[in-house]
Amino acid sequence: MTGRVNALQSSVKRSDKWSVLLTCVGESRDRSAFADLFKHYAPLIKSFAQASRHEGWFPGLNEDLVQEVMIKVWQKAAGYNPEKASATTWIYTVARNCRIDMLRRKSNTQHLPLENEDYWHEPDEETPTSLLQQKRSEEKLRESLSQLPREQDEILRKVYLEGKSHAEASKELGLPLGTVKSRVRLALQKMQILVPAEFQDELTHEQ
Amino acid sequence: MNNKTRHHPDTSMLLEFSAGTLDTAASICVSAHLHFCAHCRDSLLRLDQVGSKFMEDAETQPVDDALLDNVMQQIDRLDELSDATLTKVTSEAKGVEGDYPPLVNKLIEADDKPPRWRRVSGSVDMARLKTGPNDFEVALHRICAGGKTPKHDHGGLEYTVVLKGSFSDERAVYSEGDFILRKPGDTHQPMGAQNGECICLSAQSAPIKLTSPWGFVMNNWLRISPR
Repeated sequence: MTGRVNALQSSVKRSDKWSVLLTCVGESRDRSAFADLFKHYAPLIKSFAQASRHEGWFPGLNEDLVQEVMIKVWQKAAGYNPEKASATTWIYTVARNCRIDMLRRKSNTQHLPLENEDYWHEPDEETPTSLLQQKRSEEKLRESLSQLPREQDEILRKVYLEGKSHAEASKELGLPLGTVKSRVRLALQKMQILVPAEFQDELTHEQ
Repeated sequence: MNNKTRHHPDTSMLLEFSAGTLDTAASICVSAHLHFCAHCRDSLLRLDQVGSKFMEDAETQPVDDALLDNVMQQIDRLDELSDATLTKVTSEAKGVEGDYPPLVNKLIEADDKPPRWRRVSGSVDMARLKTGPNDFEVALHRICAGGKTPKHDHGGLEYTVVLKGSFSDERAVYSEGDFILRKPGDTHQPMGAQNGECICLSAQSAPIKLTSPWGFVMNNWLRISPR
């Protein structure tokens, strides 16, 4: 396996270890790479499951989620593109989708036409950024995230980890919905995440 | 994919979409918009990265080795099965054919009773889509070239994404990929563009209210009926 990883490392250069392993799983169904991924990500996914404060979630589901996510990772790894996202981001999206689908399946007896991953189907396109840019932007994001004021960090955690909507977060924190939304907006500005609605003028200039 | 979309979901909606806390009907419309809008896809990727950082930095929870063995056994079984089932079926859209975002096609195909166009006014046809949740109605609307729709208010939230062609109202022109949110109190009278029919995907939480004196004639057509 080491030889294969090295070969991939030169083609997927500057990528992190986990993205290289995930690429191995996708390209050659590498079981030992998959086991390494499992050992690294299963404890994180379990922690993500445990963070859920969704109505109807209970601790018994935590390991079910780990299993479901890792099996999906095995099945979908061939579609992973390291130039687009790190392995961690990609596996996070799988975990998020599975967590929502498990909740939906619990609360609905009728068959639902869509799974959560259907919402993220993206058209094939050339990657807008190089691997290096992608990695730099992730590092910058991590840094600015760690510098967010507590009040902004608190809301983002509620939304991403606990799975609370803005409305639920506002109720729990005893804040008006508008305050929650403006804290979110401030946080995204600090992280320089351009959300077009706020930057429409810039966008039209670009064209 | 073009980047010409001018009207986008706002920050909190995109963030809730990324975190998976946005309701189904709104998510369907955001997803359709993403199909057309590279800028929002880029923002979404960055928002997903935010989520992944939270997951990555959390305190890990010990996982028993037996779970790995279990998963390994399951993927062995899956690999045996997959050879037989990998052939992809591309089914044709029934009744309301068109080049839609994959999610819309999936909704059309998943319906056991194929959605059909129904005339709701002189220039508007509508086809309801089955989505599961029952507090929203999701539908395709088709406005014929130059067609006028009745002036109406909104009893609840209404999300619209233009899938084909363009339409305009008192505020702006909306073309392919544009995302529009209307709230109670927002009155408008959409009009199809002169140069061709316009097809929109919409999700609404309550029936629209007609503001013209002839409105009562239309009431039966406009009752919301989630499927």
